[in-house]
Amino acid sequence: MALPPKATFPLSLFLLLPLLLLSLVLATTTQQEEFSEELLLKPLPDRKILAHFHFQNEAPLDADSFARHHHLFPKSISQLVQKFHIKSMELSFTQGRWNYERWGGFDPISSHNAKPPGVELWAVFDVPPHQVDASWKNLTHSLSGLFCASINFLESSTTYSAPEWAFQSALGSLRYGTLPREAVCTENLTPWLKLLPCRDKAGLSSLMDRPSIYRSFYHSQRLHLTMSSAPSDGSRSGIILEQTLTVVLQPNDQNADTNHVSKAKIQPSWSLSSIFGRKISGRCVLAKLSTVYLHADKGLVAQLENLHKTTAQFADNDTGPEDYRVNSGFKLSVTPKRVHTELGKDSSILYEYPIKDYKDTEQFDLGLSWEHPIVWSSPHAPFYASRFLMGSGNERGAIAISLKSTEMTQGLVTNNIEERCKLQVNVLQVVPWYVKVYYHTLQLLIDERPRVLTDFVERMRVSPSEDKVSPGMMELVLQFPCEMKSAVLSIEFDKGFLHIDEYPPDANQGFDIPSAIISFPDFNAALQFYDKSQSKSPLLSKLQEKSPVLSYTEVLLVPLTTPDFSMPYNVITITCTVFALYFGSLVNVLRRRVGEEERLLKNKDASKAVFLRRVLTKLSAKLRGRPLESTTSPSSSSSSSFVSPKLILRVLLVAGIAIAWQYYSQ
Amino acid sequence: MAEISDSPSTSKPVEENTQTLTPQIDSKTTRNTKPGVKRLIICVSVLFSFILGFPLLWKSIEIYRAPLPFDRIDSFSSQVESNPLSFPCSFQAVFIGFDFKASHSEVAAAIKRKISDLGRGDCGGCGGNYSVAVAVERGDVSAFDFGAKLRSDDEDADEWVRSVVNQYGGGHAYSVVVVNEGGEVRSVVGKYRHAWIVGRVEEEEAVLRVAEIFVKVFVNGGDEEGLVRSEFMPVGADGRIVLSFSLLNADPRDWIYDWNFREIDKTLLQPVIEALQPIANISVESQVLYHTPKSSFSYWDDKHGSHIFTAKDLPFFVNSNEWHLDTSVAAGGRSKVLQLVVYIPSAKECPLQLKLPNGDISKTNGFISPMWGGVVVWNPQSCIKDLESNDPVRNTISHQDLQMLFEVLMGQLRQLLGLKSDNLYVGESGTSILLGSERGFTEWELDVLSRKHICFNLLSCTTTLGSLSRLVQSLPRMIIMDEIGKQVKFSLEAAKFAQSNASIGIYDASAVSSRQSRSLAEDAFFHPSIMSISYYSFEHCFAIYSPFFLPVIMHVLLGALREWKRYKQESRKYLAAKAKEKVS
Repeated sequence: MALPPKATFPLSLFLLLPLLLLSLVLATTTQQEEFSEELLLKPLPDRKILAHFHFQNEAPLDADSFARHHHLFPKSISQLVQKFHIKSMELSFTQGRWNYERWGGFDPISSHNAKPPGVELWAVFDVPPHQVDASWKNLTHSLSGLFCASINFLESSTTYSAPEWAFQSALGSLRYGTLPREAVCTENLTPWLKLLPCRDKAGLSSLMDRPSIYRSFYHSQRLHLTMSSAPSDGSRSGIILEQTLTVVLQPNDQNADTNHVSKAKIQPSWSLSSIFGRKISGRCVLAKLSTVYLHADKGLVAQLENLHKTTAQFADNDTGPEDYRVNSGFKLSVTPKRVHTELGKDSSILYEYPIKDYKDTEQFDLGLSWEHPIVWSSPHAPFYASRFLMGSGNERGAIAISLKSTEMTQGLVTNNIEERCKLQVNVLQVVPWYVKVYYHTLQLLIDERPRVLTDFVERMRVSPSEDKVSPGMMELVLQFPCEMKSAVLSIEFDKGFLHIDEYPPDANQGFDIPSAIISFPDFNAALQFYDKSQSKSPLLSKLQEKSPVLSYTEVLLVPLTTPDFSMPYNVITITCTVFALYFGSLVNVLRRRVGEEERLLKNKDASKAVFLRRVLTKLSAKLRGRPLESTTSPSSSSSSSFVSPKLILRVLLVAGIAIAWQYYSQ
Repeated sequence: MAEISDSPSTSKPVEENTQTLTPQIDSKTTRNTKPGVKRLIICVSVLFSFILGFPLLWKSIEIYRAPLPFDRIDSFSSQVESNPLSFPCSFQAVFIGFDFKASHSEVAAAIKRKISDLGRGDCGGCGGNYSVAVAVERGDVSAFDFGAKLRSDDEDADEWVRSVVNQYGGGHAYSVVVVNEGGEVRSVVGKYRHAWIVGRVEEEEAVLRVAEIFVKVFVNGGDEEGLVRSEFMPVGADGRIVLSFSLLNADPRDWIYDWNFREIDKTLLQPVIEALQPIANISVESQVLYHTPKSSFSYWDDKHGSHIFTAKDLPFFVNSNEWHLDTSVAAGGRSKVLQLVVYIPSAKECPLQLKLPNGDISKTNGFISPMWGGVVVWNPQSCIKDLESNDPVRNTISHQDLQMLFEVLMGQLRQLLGLKSDNLYVGESGTSILLGSERGFTEWELDVLSRKHICFNLLSCTTTLGSLSRLVQSLPRMIIMDEIGKQVKFSLEAAKFAQSNASIGIYDASAVSSRQSRSLAEDAFFHPSIMSISYYSFEHCFAIYSPFFLPVIMHVLLGALREWKRYKQESRKYLAAKAKEKVS
């Protein structure tokens, strides 16, 4: 029974192999719709946790019935792609600011998912150049309806621009716009979740407890759309929809009650249920891949190894499986299925937990408890970029972008000492039209000494703003020497005036200048994992993808002169009153007969005026009060007594008190 | 004021006063000189210039309102309401094997009488504008032949009757062929514009049946009253319908079903879309959704061996919270989206059946909601969940099941459009079989639909224009752009054109212009400028101008009044003095 198969087995294998290969090739070309859900957790140096949800939806693209019949891919997105001929697009909603100093700026997550506050949208269209703007406008309106956000404000040509070097591809057909003040909340998350086949009903997305997400220090929800190209001829073969949610959370310290001195420095222990308030109960059955990763970055691993060495000196540890070589620093509540180690000397480690392997009955709740206090720092971008405003008053000011070198560039200097090493930095700065930038005032200070700009600028592209038509945009490609400590780019501007109905409702808050984008094309933020499993995880391949390091600067708030919004009415009222006075007096003057009136007055003097005076004196007596009544009778004979020196004194006294009060109360 | 009057520049009035001063000293009641009119003239001229300037100001602050033809809108809507749109119809009855004593014209008159008895004055009907032609073939042999041919196979008979009718000059006329032959009475309505009745029928009965088929089937589409109101035609203002098919997997943890929609689209939907082309431009889209439980309850019924939801639960069946069926992004804002939903219950409510109010289980297991769409519940073959497998398999609904499902859905679509979903017409004088077309809609049904569509367009055009005119009249200070005026005008013109074309019987042109009139009316109503913020109320205008005009007008009016009074008083004095002089 066993013999015949033995004989035929190699033969059949040989026969089957080409077939298998063929079917494999076919399978890759006519690919299926695929959905995967992944979650990356990463402890951050400042006692916080980064949770990065990554959902990827991939659909093949057929010429005939494109974007009509999908079983996983969201209908609305495929219709959007088809209607507006989108080549690629990215939309992000962010609240909070990514802390580049503490949370790192040199890993794929920070350069892909750290986004400027508010809404950022860029899209590349596959249409002739003259139709790009129209497509962009329609797209903003559709997205605004789809995501319950005011993305439609990006429709106006004053809010978007067409940068050429900041993003990798697409000359001329790319549009970029931001809304720094868009408030992001659950009404934006719900439509975003609606695009997932399981929404938040099952799978990893069920962790998204709204209160804990929106309590976070930073959250950024992103939607990225690209066309995948066929490997054979580079033609478009499918759409890839990538949805990510990046949250930085502060875990509740579970050891808070045990106020031990050594435990004060220890990182807080956490578990999924403690940071999200929920556990993972089963995966989304529609997902091909459903995995949780725990990432320990370079700095942490190095510290753990140090710790391990010191402890190993005392206990002769049999060098067990390398997976556990660093586990002396912390304990994981669940044993990882697989451990990926980055290639190279100092490498980060990735623990993998496929949710599929855990039964539906037991809920997956990954926990991490620290054993020893560990201090480390995340890898930084070559330069730490920040931006600030200079000057005061409502007339003019200056924007300054400062770049400070980090330990990264210091390392470079020692390595390449023989040849003159250069560092390329790309800067994209978009300013709204009411901030009138004078591009000739662009100055560069290197190591606090002013330098000639042209020595460092390799390329420069400026499109000046046009009032009420387009924003100003400046793209710079700079080359800095590696040994540089700091650089400051500054540019002066005048504050413009807006028309009264161009002010937003909260005009006194100030106006935002969108973040500048600083990118470092010489550096690639990619983690190279030694891939043992050959698993086709979209998140892992995203982490390994080579892409330039990118960082966003702060959003600047420029106070502009705001008018008193009731001013038009005040002006109307005042001018009208002046006119009315003028008219009235003119009419009166023209009409009056002075001589006749005087004569009449004289005639009446005898009878009427005496009566009038008596009434007046009575009134004044009442005003002065009773005790003075006796004094009024003798002074009643003359009219001048009405304004007595005592009264004047009293009035002056009151006025003096009032002035003093006013003066001291300020 | 005193300062100004003291200054030398205004010495003139002082001089005048000094002139009048000397003689007036002597008496208060008389004066010797004529009272001066200088001041009066000044005051009055200022007042007049103000009064004259007022229309100018009014004109300058006037809000632009394009003139709308309110009276034409009113007359048009009253006209549409009072006499519904009717199309000319021509009927033709062919009697074979009858021995009429009366002449053709008398038979025709009898049919006409019956038609007018049965006919309702509906919009889209024939009204009184129809003609009836009667042809009688005598001779028993041909009647027998005919009968045999007609009884054999309905499909063949249909084609054959078509050729026969064409001999009598068919074309667009509706024809009924009545064959008097011994045997059971059988009446069939074909796929084209004709029907036939075979069997032993009396002459009286034949006339009645013919008239009923003409009126109830050919004109009204076999639609009993109260099924779906004919005023509702789910066609968007741009003449488009989006059929959005959704397959809902209530709980994908139990089972996941997918469909081969592409194939169904090609084989089943395309012919229907082509057939409905004259009425609406239809586009199709599909999606598969998961985790979409229904929001009504169902209970287990032992008798039927299934979970039951009743007609009472239907309003709550559609779970708008979790069935995110969505309006289409691809379709424009004006298209009508019809949701056609296939619901696959989860394991704990499988099989799920709809119980009709009369206690029976629904055969189609589905329901419609007019103007929204339809829902069909599809139960998987075996309701047993395969527990052991952690990874549910993606099942595909088999082709036969899918075909059945889509037949139900097409029936629902027919109902949504206002047609019958089954193939039997039960009238007063007997039952007729309605032959179905493979395209889903027969020719006479399409005629009915296009008549209804024209009618619906004109009706909605009148209601839109009516509400626009009411809105515009109720807000007197609303800006109305020229464009709105133009759109209203064109809309009315198109509606008139549609009416006149309909009365001649040109369906296509009438459909086009009626659609145009409706979309123009809606364009006018939803014009962005109507909702603009620059709505400039009268209160606002008053608040701006009153600080100037109120005090100024007071001064001017008072001045003029006083001067007038004084002038009258002084001239009376002067006259009195003069009279005294004369007397003295």
